[in-house]
Amino acid sequence: MIAGFIDSWALFHDAYLAGWLIGVLLSLVGVFVVARDQIFIGAAVSQASLFGIAVGIWSGSMLGSAGWWSSELFHAVTGGLFAVLAAFVTACAAHRGGRETPEAVTGWVFLVSTSGSILLMSHNRLGMEEINRLLSSTIIGANRQDVWIFLGLTVLTGLVLSLKYRSVVLIALEPEMARVAGLRVGLWNGLLSAWLGLVIGFAIHVSGVVYAFASLVLPALIAKNLGRTARSLFFLAPCTSLGTGVIAFVLANHYDFPPGQTAAACLCTLLAGAWLFRAVRPR
Amino acid sequence: MGDVIYRASEVALGYGSHVILRGVNLEIRSGQFWSFLGPNGSGKTTLLRGFLGELKARTGTLEMPPPIDGVAPIGFVPQRCEINPTLPITLGEFVSLGLVGTRLTKAARREHLSWVLEVLRLPNLARQSYWTLSGGQRQRALIARALVRRPRVLVMDEPTSNLDLTAENLVMETLTDFRTRCQAACLFVTHDLALAERYATHVGLVAEGGVLTGARAEVLTQANLERLYRRAPRLSADAPLPPPAPRERA
Repeated sequence: MIAGFIDSWALFHDAYLAGWLIGVLLSLVGVFVVARDQIFIGAAVSQASLFGIAVGIWSGSMLGSAGWWSSELFHAVTGGLFAVLAAFVTACAAHRGGRETPEAVTGWVFLVSTSGSILLMSHNRLGMEEINRLLSSTIIGANRQDVWIFLGLTVLTGLVLSLKYRSVVLIALEPEMARVAGLRVGLWNGLLSAWLGLVIGFAIHVSGVVYAFASLVLPALIAKNLGRTARSLFFLAPCTSLGTGVIAFVLANHYDFPPGQTAAACLCTLLAGAWLFRAVRPR
Repeated sequence: MGDVIYRASEVALGYGSHVILRGVNLEIRSGQFWSFLGPNGSGKTTLLRGFLGELKARTGTLEMPPPIDGVAPIGFVPQRCEINPTLPITLGEFVSLGLVGTRLTKAARREHLSWVLEVLRLPNLARQSYWTLSGGQRQRALIARALVRRPRVLVMDEPTSNLDLTAENLVMETLTDFRTRCQAACLFVTHDLALAERYATHVGLVAEGGVLTGARAEVLTQANLERLYRRAPRLSADAPLPPPAPRERA
């Protein structure tokens, strides 16, 4: 099994590396999503990114096949932009309050994005294939450039966390207290939302919805059930993601399964185990 | 008389176009223990948000405590903890969040943490999960988080509302001890008249868009309470005197 995986390394190493980096990056960001109990926001932002990619493909087809708007980069940018926008809208709904509940706004974003992306592509065969590819999650198309992008984003995220750990945690957990402590909560929340949207947007363009969403919430949920301290989540979540990613890609290669779904299934199994562990663990 | 920490002169506070409180005049000094009483919706929380610097004075002037090393010397104790209760967090981590924004070394942080856990009688629980603590211990942890930065003023929003009598007494004794030891001011929003009678040196009665302020004996009278509440609660005749205010800072 492992020998087969090593044999496939020459052909797929960029895809494997990009997949693991996406897993580590999203698991770090996912700690905040899970800590704020905003898992559905993660799903909505993921779908919004897909909608953005569909908008990119649709505008490319309208403007003509020549030009950068028909390139992969343009689709990644529109996917990222829509994800950032969705992150802002859902974050504002969660923090400001208003006539509608945050869940309702998040549900609206999710459904607009899901239906919109399909409707936009319904008469575009190639576009629909791309959307279906992203929905069914595949990391096989990832290239060297993707590896560098996600390495950079992961290092940057780790750096910010190590330098501003307490501030970021306080803002994520208790914005009211953070405000009293003198932090610029609005600015921080804006930056966190933009970062969430950006990394989800790029990740979905490379790895698809299932793998990105699974990497965002499942490692953090597993870490939450295994860890005893808040700090440990930022170690356990990426380690879980990386370890599961390695095992999942080996399994996927051996049994010829799609790697994204295999990783998601492994993480789901691990989460069930973590719930069991927490139930029997002495407090 | 201690240093002036807050000075409000004809202050109006509110949200959007809605003014909640107007004509607020008061002077809060270090070592004083202020209780703010009033019916629901009278503007106590608005006043509290003014003290925290979240609301700016619309008219008049509200002098805030000057920052120390760029950090506002204010500790805040909310009514309850808003952290996601499924999240693992130890008492030590929870209390350390109160140090956000301060520029302390690692050793100083550790020293502040052990000091505050000692003061709040939680010394051996630093590694214990916050969620396994009793209600009284959690409330003291909230106070510890506010005190760990050693503020000059402690602003509290009904910090004893969910506590039994023993836990309430422990919290109030701790606050009194902190006030006298550290020459800090305590601002306490409460519905509990007995607490105000027993511990406050000064009282603010919040009602009808204004605040009546002054020394406890002058403000906390039966006549004022009858004006504040339709059916005024009776003041107890045997409320002990509050502990003396600390001497002025050298």
